[in-house]
Amino acid sequence: MIEWYDAHLVLIQSTFVNLLLVLSIQVPLRMGVFSFAGVGSYGLGAYVSAILTIRYEIPAYVAIGVGILLAASIGYLLALVVSRLKGLYLAMATIAFVLILSVIATNGGELTGGAQGLYGAISDLNTLEVIMVSVVVIVLLALSERGATKRRIDAVREDPELAMSVGIPVVRLQRLSFVISGALGACAGGMNALLRTTVSPQALSFHLVVLALTMIIVGGLRSWIGALIGAVVFTWLPSMLQLAGEWQSVVYGLIVVLAAIFVPTGLLGLVQDTYRKLRRRSSRVVARDSVSGTDDTDTERALFASLGGDNRTGGSR
Amino acid sequence: MAQILINAVTLGSLYLLFALGMSVAWGTIGILNFAHGSFFMFAALSAHFIVQKVALPMPIMVLLGMVVGAVLSVLTQMLVFDPIQRRSTDHHRAELQILVGGIGISSILLAIAQHVTRSVPFGFSNSTFHIEVYELGPLQVSNIQFVILSVAVGMSALTAWWLRSARAGLALRAIGVDSEVATLMGVDRRRLAFGTMAVSGGLAGMAGILLTYYLGSIAAETGDSFLIKAFAAIILGGIGSVTGVITGAMVLALAETIVLTQMSGMWASAVAFGLIFVVLLLRPRGLFGRKEVRRT
Repeated sequence: MIEWYDAHLVLIQSTFVNLLLVLSIQVPLRMGVFSFAGVGSYGLGAYVSAILTIRYEIPAYVAIGVGILLAASIGYLLALVVSRLKGLYLAMATIAFVLILSVIATNGGELTGGAQGLYGAISDLNTLEVIMVSVVVIVLLALSERGATKRRIDAVREDPELAMSVGIPVVRLQRLSFVISGALGACAGGMNALLRTTVSPQALSFHLVVLALTMIIVGGLRSWIGALIGAVVFTWLPSMLQLAGEWQSVVYGLIVVLAAIFVPTGLLGLVQDTYRKLRRRSSRVVARDSVSGTDDTDTERALFASLGGDNRTGGSR
Repeated sequence: MAQILINAVTLGSLYLLFALGMSVAWGTIGILNFAHGSFFMFAALSAHFIVQKVALPMPIMVLLGMVVGAVLSVLTQMLVFDPIQRRSTDHHRAELQILVGGIGISSILLAIAQHVTRSVPFGFSNSTFHIEVYELGPLQVSNIQFVILSVAVGMSALTAWWLRSARAGLALRAIGVDSEVATLMGVDRRRLAFGTMAVSGGLAGMAGILLTYYLGSIAAETGDSFLIKAFAAIILGGIGSVTGVITGAMVLALAETIVLTQMSGMWASAVAFGLIFVVLLLRPRGLFGRKEVRRT
């Protein structure tokens, strides 16, 4: 176990970093905001924490924290600026935002290290801290996927006008999604830069936008579990595909295409559908048996026994 | 200055040929095709391999590129986009899936091209066509620039006529306005979608061949950088409008050329993104965008 952990440390770290990056795009998407600004925040966070670490040698959490604050405020300003846009238009504007940041990073001279980027951002950030941050974020998001908060978010996504009419602060929530997205993206970028001790304009590329979108669609749109599935699959897939040798990129593309066609609700949706189908089938069996059979408890007892010997057969009835 | 203008118009014509097909597919049948750039690159690559066996004149090469582009495009529609649209009930979800499906196709084609070329740029050095430069006073114009310009003018006029007057174009615009009512009126949406994708892929292939002639050689990754430029041109002008694409492509090319000659070359790529951003803020539907063809 320890051996495996050491051998795959980089992939394990990348999984959590990618998870946070994907969440930074999924959170706005859940509120019906099709924004890729999270990728821009990722680059912003990466550069800010790398520059602070190299120049001032401050602790990792301060460097990342500054990045998060900056990206969250820029996220808020961006939300004000692009408030008129929706759908694919908003997506395009935010992609443009990411690419402008990337050109600035490439032309930043001394400060950003130009096309080569920055090296030697050595800090004391360790994997456990990364995992802890991810767990905290997941718990918070999981809470937002239950009860009244979930219903409110669903309403904002499915029918903003109606949501507004019943008193849900739609505009404020959508702006909030930009801020959260900025914070999550910057957190992922900052942690990645400090774990790898380098940052380059690659952290702001169109390719990263595409990768994040693919993870969300393949994993699942509506829940953090989908984001986790997507992050795990696409972080580990390239190393699995090494078996395919030179053709690994072709296989990768093929998997993306097949997922787009056949798994419209993402892998999470697929699992949920299958589970629901199975449960419906088993409950139908119970229903038919209880109609035809005269002795309820006997059939139930048999069912429990076949399911692995639950000892609830006693006097519960 | 006049020289800059000529170069900018040539570049703009290439953007135009590339973006035109994409804009038509996006504005009518609602397919935002991320694989468009790889069709363009793959057409040039196929032509490169054929011209190594037989020395072909340019018109044949252009035709070849159009056929390859159209075939790839129709295949993608048949195998990816059409199944997605048929299976999907949610329009917004389908849009996202089409986006991702296109990304997948594009990475497959890119991987194949990188594999067979070993990421070395390729060109048409064996073609019978040779670039000649004419001196018109202080200006230099090459024969390929004439060809690109006239093809771009011809194709955009043809597309504009097709969308405006031909029966298929009318049906397409009807789909763009309201696909359900158009279907009720007897428009065969699927058949038209295949036709549109063929036209769109053909235009991409044509642009690929002409660009390769113009630059001498292109690399497997050239398609991707063109894709973003095409977005910029389409959004600048407004989705689905031929006048819009023409204006968008020319404005973009002019701005890029000016930045390239006046400032350091590194900033030229920011022009496209800056233009997208500013135009979206000021006129979210683009300069010539019409409200009724919105698809989002």
